[in-house]
Amino acid sequence: MLLPSRPSRVAAWVLFFVLFVPVFGLPIVVVGAASVAGQWNDVLPSHLTLRHLHDAFVSNAGIELLTSLATGIIASVVALVIGTWAALAVRALRRRGAKVIGTLFVLPIAVPSVSVGLGLLVAFSRPPFLLNGTSVIVVIAHVVLVTAFAFSSVSAGLARLPAHFEQVAASLGGRPAYVLFRVTLPLLTPSLVAAAGLCFALSMGELGATIMVYPPGWVTLPVGIFALTDRGAVFDGAALTVLLLVLTLVVLVAVSRIRTRASYR
Amino acid sequence: MTAATALLAADAPAARRTGIPAWIWVVVPLAVLAVIFYYPLFFILRQSFTGEGGHPSLAPYAEMLSSPLFRGALLRTIQIASLSTLGCLALGFVLALIVSFVPFPGARVVSGFIGTFLAFPSFLIALAFTFLYGSAGVFNFVAMDISGATQPPIDFVYTKWGVILAEITFYTPFVMRPLLAAFSQLDTALIEVASSLGARPLRIIREVIVPEAVPALLAGGSLCLLLTLNEFGIVLFIGAKGVITLPMVIYGKAIQEFDYTAGCVVAVVNITLSVGLYALYRFLVSRSGGGRASAVQA
Amino acid sequence: MADAAVMPGFPRAAAGAKAAVRARPGIRFDRVTVAYRSTVALADFSLDVEPGEVMALLGPSGSGKTTALRTVAGFVTPTSGRVFLGDTDVTSMPAHQRGIGMVVQQYALFPHMRVEQNVAFGLRAAGASRATIAPRVTECLTMVGMAAYARRYPHELSGGQQQRVAIARALAIRPRVLLLDEPLSALDAQLRSGMLNEIARLHRELPDVTILYVTHDQVEALTLADRIAVMNDSRLVDVGTAQSLYQQPPSDFTATFVGNANLVPVTVEAFDAARQEARVRFAACSVVVRANGGVTPGERRTLCVRPHALALEPPAAGANAIEARVVEVQWRGSAHRLYLEIDGIELRADSKPLREPPHRGERLIVHFAAHDATLLAAAQADRGSADHRG
Repeated sequence: MLLPSRPSRVAAWVLFFVLFVPVFGLPIVVVGAASVAGQWNDVLPSHLTLRHLHDAFVSNAGIELLTSLATGIIASVVALVIGTWAALAVRALRRRGAKVIGTLFVLPIAVPSVSVGLGLLVAFSRPPFLLNGTSVIVVIAHVVLVTAFAFSSVSAGLARLPAHFEQVAASLGGRPAYVLFRVTLPLLTPSLVAAAGLCFALSMGELGATIMVYPPGWVTLPVGIFALTDRGAVFDGAALTVLLLVLTLVVLVAVSRIRTRASYR
Repeated sequence: MTAATALLAADAPAARRTGIPAWIWVVVPLAVLAVIFYYPLFFILRQSFTGEGGHPSLAPYAEMLSSPLFRGALLRTIQIASLSTLGCLALGFVLALIVSFVPFPGARVVSGFIGTFLAFPSFLIALAFTFLYGSAGVFNFVAMDISGATQPPIDFVYTKWGVILAEITFYTPFVMRPLLAAFSQLDTALIEVASSLGARPLRIIREVIVPEAVPALLAGGSLCLLLTLNEFGIVLFIGAKGVITLPMVIYGKAIQEFDYTAGCVVAVVNITLSVGLYALYRFLVSRSGGGRASAVQA
Repeated sequence: MADAAVMPGFPRAAAGAKAAVRARPGIRFDRVTVAYRSTVALADFSLDVEPGEVMALLGPSGSGKTTALRTVAGFVTPTSGRVFLGDTDVTSMPAHQRGIGMVVQQYALFPHMRVEQNVAFGLRAAGASRATIAPRVTECLTMVGMAAYARRYPHELSGGQQQRVAIARALAIRPRVLLLDEPLSALDAQLRSGMLNEIARLHRELPDVTILYVTHDQVEALTLADRIAVMNDSRLVDVGTAQSLYQQPPSDFTATFVGNANLVPVTVEAFDAARQEARVRFAACSVVVRANGGVTPGERRTLCVRPHALALEPPAAGANAIEARVVEVQWRGSAHRLYLEIDGIELRADSKPLREPPHRGERLIVHFAAHDATLLAAAQADRGSADHRG
């Protein structure tokens, strides 16, 4: 008990909410309000409306939403496969090698997303990889940016995995592949699900690399939102942002549900 | 023999007994990463040294490094990132301290909210700031109502301070996560013994809690510095004319002026800065115990 | 080792204490209750600890003993009742003003401070001058035999050494009351007995310091304490000197928890007022036992006899002899434990290591002297056979 007296505790709580609510709560509330605001020329919006969401969908939002979902799902799955494979392979290496190779896999975290996009633009505009102007380059950009998170998340899960499960399984005569698919990966499920959720959420909100590489036919939601706000349609932008947040939240909540259930095993 | 055989060999010698060295299995994901990440990285470097007519040259660097646009952006980027990081550390420390040591019924909800916040896109905050503090924002309406002014009196959003405040808002949770993890590992008996020895709360914070939190503060702070150095969404969305940062220069040169070479030069500088910081971050995390590294992975 | 020259000034009022408590305060719990929502951690607890006394709070985990200690330290605020240090009501006084030394199970040394900085912590918190701090730190470290380790960090010390430093740190503020919360349970068995002697020596050197010692280990309590307060289910069960609780346990809980006694339901047959002895019957056996205070024939009582009081050899003339069947024999290094059965009643007997231990199913005679057995009030007897100490 750091603060013994009740008045001092109450003072600390008041300080907390004075800081927390305006800094973190207000932005989310205000974007939410703007997404359904009829006219906002005062402290509070004049009336509530779903017109912004409707307008956004009448233009391109539907396609952008599907584009983002497709990009996010494909990128997450690919990143999860690469990241899990890499994490398992790196674990089998000796200390020194594991450290070097592991660093190679997490380094994309340190590279600015705009630079990742620029690199793809420069490298994939010439043979042997002519991908500029295709949707593939967008997916690749997302894979690059989220694989590192999948790798470190699965690696952390592996590190927490007690070694004796696999040793017992092997002592019972489980062949390596059998142990991998029947023991290691099932035990790793919570980490895998968490990694998938994180990758999807990050991909859904990705802007820096996408804006560098996207072709006209593959506009993701964040790029679409920027286009809207850039030409002054901030309320429509807010509506789409709320849509994006809700979608992300739904996935994160689903993931944490699956995760709790999986961890009972 | 399947591909999985050696993947799960927790000890390398066992894998060697099967005849296939453990490193073989790392080749596939490494090859993919090489093509989609290291190959483009190499091209950024090569392009940045390509002069007029496609010959190797240092001219692009000479030109870019001497331009006022670049110099201004570099200074501004470092300034914004450092001030934002300091703000995040201060705010994050106070909030994490209260959540951890002066617990209240909703504290768990707050922790969960912090975790979720990390997964949101940063431009959300920039958008919110325009609604709150923008020239047509709520606070300007209030201010004009009260003062009777005809021009919006609040305009900090369109300065570097707007960007800094937005970045503090968005990145404080990145500092709070490792701090909350560190605080949860702090033995409460330390605090109790300290207070039984006569120490008041401020002394306990200064002499018992802060020393224990230093590794987490350093790790969280350097991660925060790295991310703010590379922040793009917030600066783009706020769209202030005078607030140009390195990622904005890259975007402007490559996409708006189709000058890939200039963009690549700036990218090399930006990448060098942030990889250097990242090395520092990894060093600090490894010194503070690997267990906490996963707390800041997002 | 402590030198006598340093010692006399020791138990003055604590340096950091704001409260004007007289020099030798005891501790008084006055009907203290601690409740969290639906659970009661401490129920209507009243206890007087005399100045300079060592009081052990003994009980199984969850018995409320640590909660009681924490109300004295100031980390738990009673739901009702008052806590006094001497004549001062400290019930709602902040912990940092109480001037109480505290030592906990996991040492809780500040990991980033050297040993000497740890010991100096309380003095610096009280704003003592450098000139006072340095000699006091040396003095306290010398008392616990750790002066040579002043410059070390806690992680460079063994568990026993860390606990010595923790004790020195608590003593440095010259507390009038010292709280020891399971101070030995993190140590291994050998270190534990050494530290036990050490704490006993410290108490002889600091006779004015009142000590409240929380433990679940009866040996620690019996060795160290002037008096023992036995606790169970958030309540005080019995208070008494170590000897009286051991030899004449007032309740069946105390009988089993302190010394793991055999408890057997019996019926009184006769009472000899001159010798304060009773003849009692259980199953087919009739035995003579001590019965202070008197009993009436026909009364139902519980016979309490400790395992090591049951001997295979007749100890002296006039001892009781009962025939029993051997159910199980266990060798425990320093002793053989026999599980015996008489008409469905189980008895445990600890004997010296036997050259030729009996076999299962064998019938044999066990003896015990009348003064090694006591009679308790009846009724609670069926819990009595539970083996608390393994």
